[in-house]
Amino acid sequence: MIEVKDLSKDYIILKRKPGLSGAIRSLFIREKEIKQAVDHISFEIKPGEVVGYIGPNGAGKSTTIKMLCGILTPSHGEIRVNGVVPYQNRKQNAINIGAVYGQRTQLFWDIPVRESYELLRHIYEIPKNDFEARMKHFTEYLNLGPILDIPVRQLSLGQKMRCELAASFLHNPAVVFLDEPTIGLDVAVKENIRKFIREMNHLYGTTVILTTHDMEDIEQLCQRIIIIDNGSILYDGDLVAVKERFGHQRTIHFEMPQTDHFKLPASLESTVDVAEITESRVSLLFSSRDIKGAEVIAIMMAEYEVNDLTIKDTSIETIVKEIYERGI
Amino acid sequence: MRKYIAIFKSQIQITFAYSAWFWASMISAVFQLIILFYFWHAVYQNSDTIGNMNIKQMITYVMIATILGKFMNGAGSQLAGDIRTGQIATELMRPYNLLHKLMAMDLGGKTSDFIQSAVPLLVVAGLFFSITLPESLTAGILFVVSSILGILLAGVFDLIIGLLAFWTINTWGLRILRNAIVLFFSGSLIPISLFPPSMQLISQYLPFQSMVYVPVSIYTGAISGQDAWMAMGAQLFWIVFIYAVLRASWSQALRKVTIFGG
Amino acid sequence: MVRYMKLYWHFFAAQVKVMTEYWVDFIIGFMSVFFIQFTSVYFIKVVFDHIDVLNGWTFYEILFIYGIASTGRSIHQIFFDNLWLVGRDYIRTGNFDRLLIRPLNPLFHLIADKVQQDGVGNLVLGTILLGISMNHLAFDWGFWDIVLLIVMVISSGLIYSGINLFFVTFSFWMVDSFPLMQTAFNVSQFARYPLTIYSKPIRIILTWVVPYGFTSFYPATLFTGHKNYTTLALITPAVAAIICVIAYGFWIIGLRAYTSTGN
Repeated sequence: MIEVKDLSKDYIILKRKPGLSGAIRSLFIREKEIKQAVDHISFEIKPGEVVGYIGPNGAGKSTTIKMLCGILTPSHGEIRVNGVVPYQNRKQNAINIGAVYGQRTQLFWDIPVRESYELLRHIYEIPKNDFEARMKHFTEYLNLGPILDIPVRQLSLGQKMRCELAASFLHNPAVVFLDEPTIGLDVAVKENIRKFIREMNHLYGTTVILTTHDMEDIEQLCQRIIIIDNGSILYDGDLVAVKERFGHQRTIHFEMPQTDHFKLPASLESTVDVAEITESRVSLLFSSRDIKGAEVIAIMMAEYEVNDLTIKDTSIETIVKEIYERGI
Repeated sequence: MRKYIAIFKSQIQITFAYSAWFWASMISAVFQLIILFYFWHAVYQNSDTIGNMNIKQMITYVMIATILGKFMNGAGSQLAGDIRTGQIATELMRPYNLLHKLMAMDLGGKTSDFIQSAVPLLVVAGLFFSITLPESLTAGILFVVSSILGILLAGVFDLIIGLLAFWTINTWGLRILRNAIVLFFSGSLIPISLFPPSMQLISQYLPFQSMVYVPVSIYTGAISGQDAWMAMGAQLFWIVFIYAVLRASWSQALRKVTIFGG
Repeated sequence: MVRYMKLYWHFFAAQVKVMTEYWVDFIIGFMSVFFIQFTSVYFIKVVFDHIDVLNGWTFYEILFIYGIASTGRSIHQIFFDNLWLVGRDYIRTGNFDRLLIRPLNPLFHLIADKVQQDGVGNLVLGTILLGISMNHLAFDWGFWDIVLLIVMVISSGLIYSGINLFFVTFSFWMVDSFPLMQTAFNVSQFARYPLTIYSKPIRIILTWVVPYGFTSFYPATLFTGHKNYTTLALITPAVAAIICVIAYGFWIIGLRAYTSTGN
C-alpha cells in the first residue's frame, strides 16, 4: 500500500537578522543552514495494516506524512501510495487518502457539519448511495446525530474531532493519516474514536497511519510501530516484539510503615536498584531476566514489615524513552 | 496619574518597531497625498478660488487634514474586543480605571505614530507638494493645542462606540459606519466651509467638525482671533460632554457585567 | 471545467444558506460598505457644487468611472476575497495543507472557500451609480453597448483579482504578504479619477505596470465624449486575460516553492 525507499527531506533555513536592516541585508547576503528533517528512511506498509508512527516533536513525523500526502516534495528517494507517486500526482493521490490533522480543521468553518459533508461528497465525487450508507453508519458509530446541524466553529474539541474523523473516512480512502487524533480529549471520546478506527480498519480494510503521543492509542490500535528520531528510523516492527525486548524491566513499590532505616537486603544488592525512597514507600527496580519478582517480594517481606505492594509493568512510554537514550 | 503615564510610555516603546505594516501604511499615505495633489490641481484648473480658498490654501488644508485624520481612531476596538472575549472581567479587577488605561495606551500609540509617520508625511507634503506654514506663530501654537483636543475628542468618542459591544455583537459594522461619518463630517476629506449650507448647519451642532476641521482651519487661518478661541471652547465642551456620556454609559454597562457574574 | 463550475455552485449555495441565517450581519456588512463608498461619492458631489468640469470631465462622467470601478471591485470582493487571507489564515496556520490533500486545484478551492457578502454593498452602489450616470451621458445606449459595458466590468473585476493574486503569491515565501497586497491595492485609488489629471509617469505606471487604469478609466472612455483612448479601452479584456495568466503562472511557481520547502 505504501512504499518508501531511501526517502529524505532537507530544509534550507535562511538565517535572518531581525528588523529592517536584517531584512534588507538578507536580500543580498544569505546565510544558509541545511537541516535534514527526514534522513534516508525506508519502509513498506501492507494494505489493512494499522501502524503507529511515533517519535518526539521535530523528529520528522509530520514531514514524512506531508510527503506521503503530496504536500511536500521529497529531496531524495521514492514514495508510492497505493501505486501513486504523491508529489507527482497530487490530485490522484488525494482521492486515495484521508487525513486528520490534530488541531486544524479540514471541515468548513462557518457552515453546518452536514453541509460540510455534502460539499465533501461533491469534492470527492462520492456516489450518492455510498455516501448515504456511510453517513448513516458514521452517524451511528460516532454519535454525530445531535451535532450535524451546528457550524464547526461552535463545536467542542471532542465533537469536532469526531466530525473530522468521519470526514477523513467519508470517501472510503485506501489510506488514512491520523495526526494526534485523541489529543486533549476525555477518556470516553478517546475510546469512541479508537473503536471507530478499529471498526473502519476491519470493515473496509483501510490502512491507517497514526502519529500520537498517547501510548494507549498505540497499544490499543497498532500491531506495528515505527519509531523515528532525528529523521532516522530507530525501530520498525512488532509492538509485541518491542515489549518483549524492552519489557523485562519491573518496578515494585513497597508501602511500609517506616523507611528511615531502610537498607537494601544483601541478597538483592547485585540485581536490584533502589529507584526511590519516600516517607512511606520504597520503589525497587530490576530486570525480570536477572531475578524473579516473587523472589524480590519474598526477600523484602522477610526483612521488613510491608503493608502493601504494587508491581508496575513497563509502559511503552519508557520503552520509547529507552530506545531514544540507549538504542536497541 | 503616575501609572497612566507609565502605561503611556510603555506603549510608545511597543509601537516603535518598523514593520512591513508600517511601510505599507506609509506608502499608502504617500499615494493618498499624491492623489490629493493632482485631484485638487484639476479642480482648480478653471478657477482661482473655491469657497474663498486658493489652490495653495486648499492643498495645505486637505493634506494636513488627511494626516490629522489618521489620528481619529481610538481604543474602542480594543475595548470591544475585551468585552467580546470576556477579558474585561480580568481587566476590571486590575488596580486602574480601564477607560483611562485604554486612553493612555491609545495616546502612547498615537505619539509614536506621530513621530514615525505624521512627521515624515508632513515633511514629504512640505517638500514635494509645497504646503504652506501656519498663518502665524500664534496660529501654529493654537493649531497644536487644537489638534490635541481634536484627537482627545475622537478618542473619547471611539470608546463610546467600543462600549456598545456590551449591547450588540456587530461592532465592526458600527465601526465602519462611525469611520464613514467621522471621515466626512470631521472635515478630513474637504473643508466643511465647502459643504452645502444645510449640511454646514447640521455640522455645527455635531461634535465631528471639532476633530479635524477646527484645528486645520486654525492652521490655514480660516478660523482666527476671537473665532479660534470660540472654536477651541467648543472642542473643550464636546470633550467634557462626550466624556460625561461615556462615564454614564460605562457605569450602566458595569452593572451589566455584575449581573453576568463576570 | 464543468465539474468545477458545478462544484463552485455547491460551495456558493452552502454559503448563501448560512448568510440567510445570519441576515443581520449581512445587512450591517452591506450597509457599512455602501455607506463608506457613498461618502466618497458625496465628496465628489460637494466638489462639483463649486466647479462645472474637472479637467474636461463632467460630474456624471466621473460618477460613471466610479461606477465601473465599484462594480468591478465588487466582483473581486464577492468572489475572490479569500485571496487576502492566504497568508494569515492558510499559510501561517498550516491550513493551506488542507487544500493540498483535496483532489482539486488548490486555487479553486481557496477561492470557493469564501463568498464575501460585504461586496454586495459595492455591487449595489456601483450599479446605482452606473444607472444614474448612464442616463446623463451623451451616449445612445443600445443592447450591444450594455453587453460591452458588462464585459468591461467583468474584465475590471478580473484585473483587480489578478493583481491581487500576483501579490498574494509572495506569501509562499514570506508567510504573509498582506502589507504588500495592501500597498498594491491602494494604487487602485488613483483609478477613481480620470487618469488625465495625473502626470505622465503616473499614467504610465497605471497603464503598463500596475494596470489599474483598465479597471475603470479606459473602459469608461468608450461611452463618454473622450475618444483618444479607444484602442486602450478595447484591449481591456485582453489586459485582464494577460494579467490573470501572468498571476496564475506566478502562483504556480509559488506553490511549487511551497511544496518543496514546506512551512
